[in-house]
Amino acid sequence: MNRIGRKSPLLLVSALACLMGMGAAAQAADDLKIALIAPVSGPMARQGDLMRKGAELAIQDINAAGGIKALGGAKLSLLVEDAGDKVETAKNAAQRLVANRQGVVAGTGSWSSSLTLAVTEVTERAALPWVTLSYADQITDRGFKYVVQTVPVASQLALNAMPTVLEMAQTASGKKPTKVAIISDSTAASQAFVQPLRDGGFQKLGVQVVADEVFTPPLNDATSMVQKLRATRPDFLLFYSTGFPDAKLVLNKMNEFGLGKGKLPTVTVGVQFASPEMLKAVGPELLEGLILVAPNWPSKTQEAALPSLTSRSGEPWLGQDTISTYGDVMLIKDALERAGSADGDKVMQALRTTDRKDGPADFYLGDRLAFDDKGRRVGGAVGLIQWQSGLPYLIWPKEDAVKTPLWPKS
Amino acid sequence: MFSTRPRLAYFAVAIIAVLYVAAIFLTTNSYYQLMLALVPVWAVMGLSWNVFSGYSGLVSFGHAAFFGLGAYTTTLLFAKLNITPWIGIPAAALVGCLAGVLIGAITFRLRGHYFALAMLAYPLAMLYVFEWARLQEVSFPMKREDAAFYMQFHDQRWNALIALGLLVIALLVSLKVERSRFGMSLLAIKQNEIAAEVAGIDSYRWKLKAIALSGALAGAAGGFYAVVLLVVTPFTVFGLATSAQALIVTMFGGVGTLWGPVVGAAFLVPVSEILHAELGGKFPGIQGVVFGIAIILVMMKMPQGIVWAVRDRFFAGKGRPAGSAVTPAHLAPAFILSEAAETLLEVQGVSRRFGGVKALTDVTLKVRKQEILGIIGPNGAGKTTLFNVLNGLVTPDAGSIHLKGTQMVGLPANRICAKGVGRTFQVARVFARMSLMENVVVGAFVGAPTDAEAAERAKAALTRVGLGHLGEAPADTLTNYELRLMELARALAGGPVIILLDEPFAGLDAGEVRAFMALLRTLRDEGMTIAIIEHTMQAMVQLVDRFVVLDHGCVIADGPPREVVRDRTVITAYLGDKWVPDAVAS
Amino acid sequence: MTDMLPGLETVLQTLATGLLVGCTYGLMCVALGLIFGIMRLINFAQGDFLMLGMYFALAILSGLGLGTSIGSLPALLLAALASIPAFFLLGWVLHSLLLARIAQRRGATEGEAHQTQLIMTLGISLVLSNGALMAFGSTPVSLNTPLASQAFVLDPLGGGDVLVFLNEARVLAAVAALIAAGGLYALLHRTDLGRRLRASADNPLAATYMGIDVVWSYRVTFGLGFGLTALAGVMVATYYPFQPYVGLDFVIVMYAGVVLGGLGSVMGSFWGGVIIGLVQQLSTLVLPLQLQGTTVFVVFLLILLIRPQGLFGRSVERA
Repeated sequence: MNRIGRKSPLLLVSALACLMGMGAAAQAADDLKIALIAPVSGPMARQGDLMRKGAELAIQDINAAGGIKALGGAKLSLLVEDAGDKVETAKNAAQRLVANRQGVVAGTGSWSSSLTLAVTEVTERAALPWVTLSYADQITDRGFKYVVQTVPVASQLALNAMPTVLEMAQTASGKKPTKVAIISDSTAASQAFVQPLRDGGFQKLGVQVVADEVFTPPLNDATSMVQKLRATRPDFLLFYSTGFPDAKLVLNKMNEFGLGKGKLPTVTVGVQFASPEMLKAVGPELLEGLILVAPNWPSKTQEAALPSLTSRSGEPWLGQDTISTYGDVMLIKDALERAGSADGDKVMQALRTTDRKDGPADFYLGDRLAFDDKGRRVGGAVGLIQWQSGLPYLIWPKEDAVKTPLWPKS
Repeated sequence: MFSTRPRLAYFAVAIIAVLYVAAIFLTTNSYYQLMLALVPVWAVMGLSWNVFSGYSGLVSFGHAAFFGLGAYTTTLLFAKLNITPWIGIPAAALVGCLAGVLIGAITFRLRGHYFALAMLAYPLAMLYVFEWARLQEVSFPMKREDAAFYMQFHDQRWNALIALGLLVIALLVSLKVERSRFGMSLLAIKQNEIAAEVAGIDSYRWKLKAIALSGALAGAAGGFYAVVLLVVTPFTVFGLATSAQALIVTMFGGVGTLWGPVVGAAFLVPVSEILHAELGGKFPGIQGVVFGIAIILVMMKMPQGIVWAVRDRFFAGKGRPAGSAVTPAHLAPAFILSEAAETLLEVQGVSRRFGGVKALTDVTLKVRKQEILGIIGPNGAGKTTLFNVLNGLVTPDAGSIHLKGTQMVGLPANRICAKGVGRTFQVARVFARMSLMENVVVGAFVGAPTDAEAAERAKAALTRVGLGHLGEAPADTLTNYELRLMELARALAGGPVIILLDEPFAGLDAGEVRAFMALLRTLRDEGMTIAIIEHTMQAMVQLVDRFVVLDHGCVIADGPPREVVRDRTVITAYLGDKWVPDAVAS
Repeated sequence: MTDMLPGLETVLQTLATGLLVGCTYGLMCVALGLIFGIMRLINFAQGDFLMLGMYFALAILSGLGLGTSIGSLPALLLAALASIPAFFLLGWVLHSLLLARIAQRRGATEGEAHQTQLIMTLGISLVLSNGALMAFGSTPVSLNTPLASQAFVLDPLGGGDVLVFLNEARVLAAVAALIAAGGLYALLHRTDLGRRLRASADNPLAATYMGIDVVWSYRVTFGLGFGLTALAGVMVATYYPFQPYVGLDFVIVMYAGVVLGGLGSVMGSFWGGVIIGLVQQLSTLVLPLQLQGTTVFVVFLLILLIRPQGLFGRSVERA
């Protein structure tokens, strides 16, 4: 056993040498690089793929339109790092990016807030400007200087969304709902959304919480929760599930118990509910009438650009992951133009002082794209989407809406 | 291990540390610096697993419990109370250690697969509890001032250095364990827990110590891991992948070896990362497939891991010195036991049933000092059960056992061994992976205050039985005769006042039996008391001073050899009624 | 009516769901219990076997289009029947090529030999789940049969005040589980093959002396276990959406059920699974839903500590 000791350093050194060799290959041309760190492997790979499509489309469009004019028409290129499914893999991806970052001017990512938290810990220290569609409050609660959130944070989203939902329900049905049931999973994103509502948010709106069920994914059966719904008879259900299988189990069970197909109006959060996969897995009947709160969604402002984007993406329709990442890259481009430099500090300065009502702002909900001193979105709006005859449409805010909301009049 | 020179290993640790420091300072790329910090974290995790599961053989699927508690300790102390990780990491080690003691105390009742699966449950239950407690995502607040005080170095190399420091500590701890009675006892428990207990090893206490130490190492690793990642989620630190990682790096490198976990981590962590970085984005999933195939291939070619494979390939053949010839011996003249000899061991009315079977019924017997007592009886008469009762492996339902006037009933086997009862088994209970010397030294710990003294006693015992020259030979190269002698030496090394020998002559040829008998006689002449179970009547009649005959769990005869072999009931018990006249006549 | 009725309704509904969920768990546990009980092998790839069964069902229903051409229920039955022989073969091959090929180091203890196999199953699990990711992609899919969202409605008191819903897909899965478990019981206890398998489990050495090829027995066991797990996968796929990593969601439940039932008692594993299903559901009556998972582990640990041989185990671990 003693003698093995002499072998180990050799192994170690060879492993290191191997590492360094692989690293050297990662350098390339002198385009301006935009980084995307997203989960392209593991259980969240589908979302990462949707984000990549958005980034690729944006870069194609920017280059086709002559690149960054303020930098002599410099072309952009995309660098994708795989965030995997764990904090460790996301951190590694970010470190890999900043270590080999020649030409990387800014980045966007990484879908789940846990991954984004880890990634931004690295990019902040490396002073790399970062744009994210993750909406956990914590991301911009840490006093970081090199990050902006392009959508409203979860707590704002919740408090802004619910009056909107009530208003919409009243408009559509003529009656204001007064009893709500909450079903949410235990993930940070869900709880960040539900907590402010639970802590008096609903009370202020004159809505009574009749059931409040939290489950830890993966759910094996939804009966006990749906049974509660049947027993407590709420006017509507607020349902927040980040996991796809859990969502399907609950929707199936609601249908089975005679609460589906819009009979119990259901408001969910998260764009996975409006994905083609959801349609394929659950079928149009179960989704009919389902309302989604979304931080971003294709709206009227993109009417001109959307058909071409959709067909180029190869997706049946575009959702938040793609459109937001498209917008994020457009925002970075806009910042580069305004900064007139690829220097990280200047780009960040330009990002933070963004105040646009057109251009990149078209790819987000709300009339104005600007950030407060924490880097949080100012002027964002909450979108409501509803499944109607097998497709998800934006139904709120009214001025952007594509369809009118439906709410049962019982 | 125990008997080899430890200096060499310390030297190797020092060399590795120096080389690693050089590698850290030569690395300018922050990504590789991060890798240099993560490799030692997983190596420490592997060592932690190895200290417990590798040595004791109790497989833990739940080391993520300690790792996760450590990670959350450091994180919460910092995030909620602003306590620096410099204190947080030792605190994490402490929490891991306490968790180890608690989990161990509850779970050690289980053995084998049950233990392994029960361990699986702890981290997963904790995962739910931490989610429920709203600790789904906790991040380290960023400190722009006093970064070093809060372990938030701008230069990642410091992290790599701290990781190396942890690794060196873990290596030294492991080394200390491996080279001492701690590790030897664990290895003995792993190979044969009952033999270890009988040799005086308190297996519960050692296992508890091992899981406490292991928990502390894993807790520290988890605490530091949190510092490196700066964000902690239950899934990352309590997940199945974390427990599996500890197990994989160790098994890949080599279980039960100091260098196994280090080699495993140094190889697997960078390889999986490279696969992820180079292929993950292009062919999602291929990194897992390649990694999985690598594991399968290594397990097929080197089932015990790289270190053992290398060791067997390059350092095997060291084998054993030339065999020990059986020295033909003639028996010393019979020793005349004084009538006045004091009673050493007194068994009063001992009974024991197993379910409906009465294994022992009201057994009463005495063994006098310096006596050789033969215990005979047909198969199933309860002889081995009697021995098991005498040394505490089986608790009697009724009756008392006194050794030099002290009540022994109710004491565990290791305590009875400590009181001076040595024991060998019908089938030699060998620690096959250990050297002869190591096999014997395990028996010496019980009476020796220091490890050096234990080694001395083991050496003396080996010399006493005539195997002094074979100390370094691996136990699995020994002949049957040598194994018998080895077991005797192990019993002797504990300094017993009485030894119980269970069929020591089984499988020996006539010459070997004679030599063994001569040895026993000499031992007795020097003052040892011996109780022996044996079927070889011819030998026994020559060897023993007195017979006790058991049949169906009852003592049916007790007296000098000549009388007992003519006893009618004894012959009936052995041969059946019809042989009685012939046997008495002969 | 009184206020008691919603309460009664909830209890009955929970009990019914617990039993239905439990039967499916029971089938998974029986399959694992067979492998664990006879081969003493901790198989970490079990969840991935389940996942393969799910994709097998998808291939039959959607891939071959049988779901639409002959209707989803007949197609499902076909998938269920075909899954056992198909995956038996796969298990057979896997065992011959990998698990049986582990060369043992001289002097290795039995425990170490098991550890080697265990790491190998971890490797197999990695290859299967990531291979599935490459082959099928990460997008969750489901069979999308109408069964999953329809229920048989029971009216135990009459009058429609108390209604108990039995999900059709769950009922189908439970029935399949009972048939398969019963079949396995008959195979183990009524046939010569079963006797050989049990002899190999009880005492491999003695079985060898009796002329039983223990390695062959293990291979049959592994194949059977794989086949039954795949069948469970087909049944679960009728109501549960899946992706390549879905196995992880079930593997813990499987082990909990097997240990609960008792090592070596194949039928005990079935009841173990049923109990896990019941505990999971009934715990929601008194505890926060979020601790549902923890309850399962607590029950699991309690049973292990109070009755280490499991509820239906025959023998305690030998010394």
